[in-house]
Amino acid sequence: MDRRNSRRDAEGNSVITANRLLDGRIVWLAPNGQWKTLIQDAKLYPNSTVEEALKVRTAHAQENGLVGIYGVQVTQTASGPLPVTSRERIRAAGPTVHPDFTPDWHAPHPAPHA
Amino acid sequence: MSHAPSAALPVGHYSYDAVDRTFLKQRVAQFQDQVERRLSGALTEEEFKPLRLMNGLYLQLHAYMLRVAIPYGVLDAAQMRTLAHIARTYDRDYGHFTTRQNIQFNWIRLEDTPEILNVLADADMHAIQTSGNCIRNVTADQFAGAAADEVLDPRVYAEILRQWSTLHPEFTFLPRKFKIAISGSQQDRVAARFHDIGLIAREGDNGRPVFEVFVGGGLGRTPIIGVRLRDDLPEEDLIAYLEAILRVYNAHGRRDNIYKARIKILVQALGAEEFLSQVNAEFSAMDRARYRLPEATVEAIRARFGAPDFAPAGDAAEKLVAQRKSDHAFDAWVRTNTHAHKQPGYASVTVSCKPAGGIPGDVTSAQMDLLADLADRYSFGELRITHLQNVVLGHVRQDALYDVWQALEKNGLGEANIGFITDIVACPGLDYCALANARSIPIAQKLSSRFANADLQREIGPLRLNISGCINACGHHHAGHIGILGVDKRGEEAFQITLGGSAGGADASVGQILGSAMSEDETVDAIARIIDTYLSRRTAGERFIETCRRLGTAPFKDAAYAPA
Ligand code: HEM
Ligand code: SF4
Repeated sequence: MDRRNSRRDAEGNSVITANRLLDGRIVWLAPNGQWKTLIQDAKLYPNSTVEEALKVRTAHAQENGLVGIYGVQVTQTASGPLPVTSRERIRAAGPTVHPDFTPDWHAPHPAPHA
Repeated sequence: MSHAPSAALPVGHYSYDAVDRTFLKQRVAQFQDQVERRLSGALTEEEFKPLRLMNGLYLQLHAYMLRVAIPYGVLDAAQMRTLAHIARTYDRDYGHFTTRQNIQFNWIRLEDTPEILNVLADADMHAIQTSGNCIRNVTADQFAGAAADEVLDPRVYAEILRQWSTLHPEFTFLPRKFKIAISGSQQDRVAARFHDIGLIAREGDNGRPVFEVFVGGGLGRTPIIGVRLRDDLPEEDLIAYLEAILRVYNAHGRRDNIYKARIKILVQALGAEEFLSQVNAEFSAMDRARYRLPEATVEAIRARFGAPDFAPAGDAAEKLVAQRKSDHAFDAWVRTNTHAHKQPGYASVTVSCKPAGGIPGDVTSAQMDLLADLADRYSFGELRITHLQNVVLGHVRQDALYDVWQALEKNGLGEANIGFITDIVACPGLDYCALANARSIPIAQKLSSRFANADLQREIGPLRLNISGCINACGHHHAGHIGILGVDKRGEEAFQITLGGSAGGADASVGQILGSAMSEDETVDAIARIIDTYLSRRTAGERFIETCRRLGTAPFKDAAYAPA
């Protein structure tokens, strides 16, 4: 994981993110402990507590089928948490060059084995 | 070099035998097992990561990315259809051709990967040597076996190098990745001086080729132009000499600092002369007989490549002249997108994967299928991927060019812009890449739209515009006449412009940074002003790069940073 993403102000808030091991897709930790594909569902942690939460979650990464758990600083907006860096905004919304590929994109026809 | 290869073999690429196929199937089974152990938790991510990378699987920003090897950029129509099938079935219906002549799929699932590798293996394809600190996919001239100016077919030697390097016990864990490029013509179309080893062939005295050998070139954080170690390496010593270079590197290359691990740093640290004398000492001391490359071996490998059975039409050239006269758009395309063929009555076609406002190097599965069909109908079922992210149909009859062009036009592949400002090279950047500082694609699209006018592009003339999303330089920005480098300004994207880089030939140069980074839109405007400066200051017939060299960066810098 990139050091840049760990930059956090003392005051701010963060959400917790990871990639799913099976398909690599990005997920966000929701208040009920579930991992969701939309950042709008993510739970806000004050930066003073997020490191502790990350430690706990990282210890359960394998059983939850996750890799690369880390915290992302956000600001709160009317449409949900918005990451402060462009990198994390792109992670949250999908590639800007394919507006159709939103985080809840599904294949129009499922793969034959799925 | 007279042996005529059998026409029954697939044209243009090396035909696998049972040993090759068994090997690939074993590799897939091995990876299947590794994936299962990863999913069960028997392997941690730290243990698994190098294993998946050895099979071309990266974890990128949004998903896994699979990099499929296209050895020396050559594939046949059936293999292209396999890639289309993978894009459709396991990805989101497209793929991205890279500057290493490979293809990347951006939305791959780990759980599908063994199956995908099996599908690839059934088509004699794989993802080996696309990652890791090994000798990577050897790249070669996209006009191999076709160009009028060719001395030898570089694919034969690229294949020899591939066989020597794949699984070479000493070279699987080098200090860092190692990239070799080979040009079969004196015209360097492979950026030989920007590779760890670059080879340029010429005709030797005894009818066998000799090689010019460049070493220690590279881009990335420390762009360096390779130094020439030899200009007379005989064919039979090719493997021995490369082995000697690799041994010196393997023994003395730095393993303590990833930024200083490439061979270019070693060559600089030792000095070219000392490096050369160490290579020569190793070369003299080694068991040369063991590494000798006999003519018979070269010819045996050559015989595994199918060659096209040319049947030119007597009136092809006249027909082409007439068609060009009657259709200006076609004439413009022939001028930019075809290359002289050694066989009279034929031409090589470069298919532009750079439509106006499009994503450089991205092609849909339908376009891949179309390219495969065109290859079958018009080019002996063979295709090449270029290091500038385009596709080549190597051997097209001149009287078929019009049909090829029309089919391409209808499918968004007919852009007449090869070598022009909109023939942009761009890496995936921050839209996909986990290492990126900034997005490469949107700025490429804006520039491509800005200069889309065909007359304007022709007026500007030859210009290489290359974009990388970070200092790793996958988009070759240092080698662009104009380069754009994405940087991170406290979490926001910004772009630096470099000027005066050049990839090919004796005048290879590294672009100079013009000044401080700007926003995306400011950068696009600055480049437009740089172009205006060129158009107003050039002398008759002077190309952009020549004007840059004559004037230096100052006037372009003034233009770039002129207040709006
Ligand atoms: C998206 C996944 C990618 C990752 C993680 C990645 C990573 C890197 C890194 C770390 C380097 C610097 C290596 C060094 O200097 O030692 C590099 C160099 C390079 N990459 Fe990539 N890259 C990616 C995609 C690509 C793509 C899509 C292309 C082609 C468009 C490409 C072509 C190259 C080339 C040509 C270099 C050459 C630099 C040199 O040899 O000095 N890479 N890449
Ligand atoms: S240059 Fe940087 S951003 Fe672009 S693909 Fe390479 S590593 Fe990623």
